[in-house]
Amino acid sequence: MSTVSMRPCGDFRTSYAEDRTIFETRTTLYLAIATIALLCLAPFILDAYFLTLGIQVAYLGIAALGLNILVGFTGQISLGHGAFFGFGAFASAWLHNSFGIPVFFCIPLAGYMTMIVGMIFGSPAARIKGLYLAIATLAAQFILEDFFARADWFTGGSYGAAAPPVAIFGYEFTNDQSFWYIALFALVTMYLWGTNLMRTRDGRAFVAVRDHYLSAEIMGINLTKYRLLSFGVSSFYAGIGGALYGHYLGFVSAEGFTILMSIQFLAMIIIGGLGSVKGALMGTIFMVMLPEMLEGIVGLLSATSWGGSTAFTDGLAYLKEMSIGLVIILFLIFEPEGLAHRWQQVKSYWKFYPFSY
Amino acid sequence: MNKRVLFGTLIAGALSTSALQAQDSVFVGHLADLSGPTAFVGKNYANGIRDALGYIDANGGIDGTRLEFETVDYAYKVPQAIASYKKWVSRKNMVAMQGWGTADTEALITFVAKDEVPVYSASYSGHLTDPTGKNPKTKKPAPYNYFYGASYSDGCRALVQWAADDWKNKGGAGKPKFTHVGDNHPYPNAPKEACAEYAGELGFEVMPPIVVSMKPGDFKAQCLSLKDSQSNYAYIANLGGSVVSLIKSCGTVGTDVQFMSNIWGGDKPIFEAAGAGVKDYIFPAMTPFWEDDAPGMTLVRDISKVSDPSGTEFRSHHYVRGVCSAYYMKEAMEWAKANGGITGANIKQGMYARENWVPKGLEGVCLPANWTAEDHRGINTVNIYKGNYNGGDIEIERVTQVTLPRRDDWLGY
Repeated sequence: MSTVSMRPCGDFRTSYAEDRTIFETRTTLYLAIATIALLCLAPFILDAYFLTLGIQVAYLGIAALGLNILVGFTGQISLGHGAFFGFGAFASAWLHNSFGIPVFFCIPLAGYMTMIVGMIFGSPAARIKGLYLAIATLAAQFILEDFFARADWFTGGSYGAAAPPVAIFGYEFTNDQSFWYIALFALVTMYLWGTNLMRTRDGRAFVAVRDHYLSAEIMGINLTKYRLLSFGVSSFYAGIGGALYGHYLGFVSAEGFTILMSIQFLAMIIIGGLGSVKGALMGTIFMVMLPEMLEGIVGLLSATSWGGSTAFTDGLAYLKEMSIGLVIILFLIFEPEGLAHRWQQVKSYWKFYPFSY
Repeated sequence: MNKRVLFGTLIAGALSTSALQAQDSVFVGHLADLSGPTAFVGKNYANGIRDALGYIDANGGIDGTRLEFETVDYAYKVPQAIASYKKWVSRKNMVAMQGWGTADTEALITFVAKDEVPVYSASYSGHLTDPTGKNPKTKKPAPYNYFYGASYSDGCRALVQWAADDWKNKGGAGKPKFTHVGDNHPYPNAPKEACAEYAGELGFEVMPPIVVSMKPGDFKAQCLSLKDSQSNYAYIANLGGSVVSLIKSCGTVGTDVQFMSNIWGGDKPIFEAAGAGVKDYIFPAMTPFWEDDAPGMTLVRDISKVSDPSGTEFRSHHYVRGVCSAYYMKEAMEWAKANGGITGANIKQGMYARENWVPKGLEGVCLPANWTAEDHRGINTVNIYKGNYNGGDIEIERVTQVTLPRRDDWLGY
């Protein structure tokens, strides 16, 4: 393994172990550890605003990675990811409120519950694909949304459900500073696990199913099993993300988990890069930061002397919404392979500078 | 003078000036939906808040303290509401917030209670009214949440009470039938059970609810169900375009039912859009209308000039309700200033300092309110109005005023 550079020039891998390593070089491994160590210091430096954005990136990013495993790696489609995210939030609150299970354990358990629900809704995937599957998952979205509003015993119906904070040995993670560590721990664990999954037999089977399902089947891959498993893993991630979201807010209401949220998750992985673990995170960061950046610009314009009028600020509000749409369209045209691909190109550029090959 | 001393003095001077400035102004955040799914009424309400806050700042602020505020259009997206809230708390030292809908208000309940930031929302959900969790039905106590107006549940209860009297006055025989019409969604569902329970108490036969989408569409099938059920009174829990579509569809089908709507479902623009289908449409209001002649309307019209100097623009009653919300907050802040300084916790105490309280200058506009540390049902009085289209000349008249009892089992429900 090369130690000096971030990316070795040429391919020097001489063993399977090297081929399957998570970090390409030791430098990237050290850099990753250093970054996490730095992020651990964030609550001492950043204020609640930045921390809340970071926490949003964590819980949305975990769910986005789940969707990327399903869409990007396995080639299935889901328009119901927002509803699964919501199911995880409600399930975790329900487990704690009804059975008194400590929140720390409720979160993974909620992931498993969501996984089961996801696999039930994903079962048609064994027989249908493409647009047909998209519509089947759309049905999941609507069925679950209706379920959230009706199932008083589970979600509290239209009243919503209280989701107490995460507590370990009596210490409650109630503020942004402390919750940051929970979010960071979950993010790192889930992303490491996601990366690792792609090196395993199951992960490779997912990719094989995506690339050519007939060849995969001929190779002995059980298509039904792996399509269903992919739905399960994807929903597990959505459930974990949703549970974190619920316990961060302290209250879960059925209102937020609409089709728009599902589409937003799709936007995250398309912008970040389909079939890339780090792409899911990059896309999430992009989608969380974009409205904030635009809000900042709108705020600057409003502060100008001619920006005080209501008509002007109302106009800006629409402009902001349209800009978000425009940026997404521009991405699809100019960077269809996502931010992960662009990052790869940036790295290659530095590696090969000043030669362009 | 030594250079270092001079430099030090300058820095100290700058710091003390900025500290003085900080003391001389307080910050209030304002979340608004100007471009999202509830912008239909959200814009009117937000304009009311924005103009009122601007007016207060331009006319002496909070007893001499400047009132800074910022309006953020969060387009009904919870993550953006949370981010704005965090920014205001950590960077602007926000003392109170004017919020908007169910989604953002509920997402922030825990945060605002912890940070001690009173929130004045336009979500009138009954479960925001129990600050201590006294009622066993309350899922989550909301100690820092306030709203100006009757809760959705109380509004619906008042309409049901009116319907019971109406049935008697019309000489109706037997049990009248009551139906809840609305989407299966937290906002329309908020008063569903509470209202059905009370309707049952008053002798109504409660029919199965009819689900009508919040998005406008063709609702003839639902209107036929309403017709088949022979319902006498139907409560519309949706808002805006959906209400218009429903009235039109039911007009085509020929449904003979008395429509009653919630606070967002009845205003002049809706009657204009629905046209001739509107007949004796019943809806609640917490303030007079733009053309009305209450003494406090002079101040409301002055406030309106902040964004419309010509004074010609029509304002809906949602706008006026926004003004009331801002003014209750303003007077609670004044009380706080006189009693230990403008902090969130003191503003909260300020909300409990008076009884039968109407903000100064808004007499006849805002209904007398009573908030206590145990009961956040500020208003338990509901004005009920009747609207008719009459060939484009929209007639709105007050039918009655219902004052509801403060029953313990209704707190937070």
